[in-house]
Amino acid sequence: MSRDVNAPATAHAEAAQEAERDHANPFSAIAIFLLPALIVYAAFTALPVARTFYNSTHLIVPNRPAEWVGFTHYVELWSDQMFWKAVWNTLTWAAVAPVLEVSIATLLALALYAKVPFSRFLRVAWFTPVLMSYVVVGILWMWIYNFDWGALNALLRAVGLGDWARPWLGHPDTALPALIAVTTWMWTGFNMVVILAAMSSLPSEVLEAAELDNCGWLAKLWFVILPLIRPTLLNLVVLSFIGKMKIFDLVWVTTQGNPLWATETVSTYVYKRAFQWRTFDLGYPSTIAVIWFVIVLAGVLGLTFLFRQRDRLEY
Amino acid sequence: MKRISLAVTVAAVMSASASQAQELTLWSHWADQAAKVEFVEGAARAFEEANPGVTINISWYQKEPLYAALKTALTAGQGPDIFYAETDQTEYMENGLVLDLSDGLNWDNIEPWAQEVWGWQDGVYGFPLEAWTVETYTNQAMLEEAGIAMPVGGLEGQAFVDAVAKIAEAGQTPMAQGVGDRPYPGAFLTHEILVKKLGVADYQSLLRGEGVEWTDPRVREALEFAKAIIDAGAHPASFSSIKLGEAHRYFHTSPGAAMFQMGSFYPSRAFAAPDEGGQPDGFPLGIVNGPIPPGAACPECKTIAVGGSFVVNAGTDHADLAVAFLNSMASPEMGNNWLEANLVGTGIKADPSAIEGENATYFQKLAAANAGARYTFGIPVQQMQGTPRETFTQVINQAFPAGLVGVDEVISIMSAAY
Repeated sequence: MSRDVNAPATAHAEAAQEAERDHANPFSAIAIFLLPALIVYAAFTALPVARTFYNSTHLIVPNRPAEWVGFTHYVELWSDQMFWKAVWNTLTWAAVAPVLEVSIATLLALALYAKVPFSRFLRVAWFTPVLMSYVVVGILWMWIYNFDWGALNALLRAVGLGDWARPWLGHPDTALPALIAVTTWMWTGFNMVVILAAMSSLPSEVLEAAELDNCGWLAKLWFVILPLIRPTLLNLVVLSFIGKMKIFDLVWVTTQGNPLWATETVSTYVYKRAFQWRTFDLGYPSTIAVIWFVIVLAGVLGLTFLFRQRDRLEY
Repeated sequence: MKRISLAVTVAAVMSASASQAQELTLWSHWADQAAKVEFVEGAARAFEEANPGVTINISWYQKEPLYAALKTALTAGQGPDIFYAETDQTEYMENGLVLDLSDGLNWDNIEPWAQEVWGWQDGVYGFPLEAWTVETYTNQAMLEEAGIAMPVGGLEGQAFVDAVAKIAEAGQTPMAQGVGDRPYPGAFLTHEILVKKLGVADYQSLLRGEGVEWTDPRVREALEFAKAIIDAGAHPASFSSIKLGEAHRYFHTSPGAAMFQMGSFYPSRAFAAPDEGGQPDGFPLGIVNGPIPPGAACPECKTIAVGGSFVVNAGTDHADLAVAFLNSMASPEMGNNWLEANLVGTGIKADPSAIEGENATYFQKLAAANAGARYTFGIPVQQMQGTPRETFTQVINQAFPAGLVGVDEVISIMSAAY
């Protein structure tokens, strides 16, 4: 009888204990929440990456089993002049563009932060290019750079600098700088908005303290504002670096790597080798992809290490 | 019981009709070329009518998306029964992806040269629907105005260089070439000079790296002749960015040019209505050979290319039906229909002289420019593979005619590509 009386209490205690155990070790709940994302990640990211690594050491052609070729593709890549030209172009782009984009964006953000006239309009105008796709931007700039009737050459001729008019995308000396100018034009506005947001969230007491100390605007910018928004700037540099290391669309729309491989990037070269070189073998293009993945990863880690903040800012 | 027997009967009828119904799938380029679409669709409908129970489903693509789709589909064993291919795509044969049509196709109705172009090892693999030659189209009025008489056989040596210089000095564009979106039109000038200078066998040997080298003195002379034409101001300053369609318009409408080296598929764009990008009414179009280099081994040599063709998937379950469909297009009647509809050549035996009406004159001029011609088959990018092909595209198609590199650099870069 007494057991009957105590039974509900015992069951309640056991349930409480079980709930406590669940809270202490919520593995199944975590698994349920993570599983869908993990499946998607495994299917569309991890598996293709693993397959690319596998392909890079095999000869992959239809109607035949994959043939192990060891590191033959890697050795071949070492002496592939076109690949190294593409690497040089891409690294140039990835080194120059982030600096241009972030520095110009910082100046524009400062102008807006200082509330120059028409700042609301300018913020929208400067941000607009990033809303367009690379295809649209590419076509637009092909018109601007056109030798006969492009806006740039027309402007040069109008101001008496007709001798400077040239086919900007058609000469090896100007094609890559011309494309770097396009990505700078396109992405500066985005960087500007992010930097402006960082500036707007700066603690006002720090800026006011600087003013009380008779700090000039240049000193305030250099010693107060820039150090405070440094993490934002560095993140933007890294994002821009990654974007330029993978650039494909703009080059494909405008030059397809011409002239004389002056605008060939690693991504366009991989595409050419995979789909335009009259071969079904995906091994060699996969090797390029693997090598480039390693280089990009190393670049990002290197930048992160280089820009790491040793002393935590306090305010 | 009645219901059951009815159901069995219906199922049997459906099963019987399903076993008779056959479906062919065809993937093709030319999505934006209405006349070609109409020709192939018309042939498909006629074949369906003649073969009850057979349906042909055609998917139309642009060329690059088609190639990408085929690459993945064929690799996965899920390609269409018939698909578009060009003669340089030997990877299909190398990997056993297309059927040998040696015994299946009615070769009596196909031009022997077109059969030769599709030959690979011991087989013949493609049905050559489209074919074209490389021609020098001229604006006769502009040439007359400049006091230049250009014979159909073509101007030779310095006479051509002088003609180009004279036109350029008059402030006009001698040759309306552009390479903004194609890997071959800028190379027409150089490779046509090379084939005339070397003759067909040595020219093919040069392109394929099978004996004749780029350092050969004859090659240097040919390149120097091409360079003289280029330096005389042959091409527009915007050569690098002008796209194929724009180059046509540049030649016949605005700003106008005296010459235009182009495949004989020129009419497919230029014979459209003027407000749709076609040449102006009454445009004084001429067709000539040349330029012919000094000391040419074969002045009558020129390039003929088999363009769009159809091949049969080696993995198809309907091989006989697919070949039968191709054979339904392989008749002189269909060849003439193709010529009249598309105004571009074909590998099907046809009779251009039988064409009447407003385009008859054009075909007569084209025939005159090809009288006695000896052909090399395929433009260089169709004869080359891999690194040499890519290098040829960058150097001979673009940098050399744009004046970015000289003869020595061409020889050096091309030699290093093999």
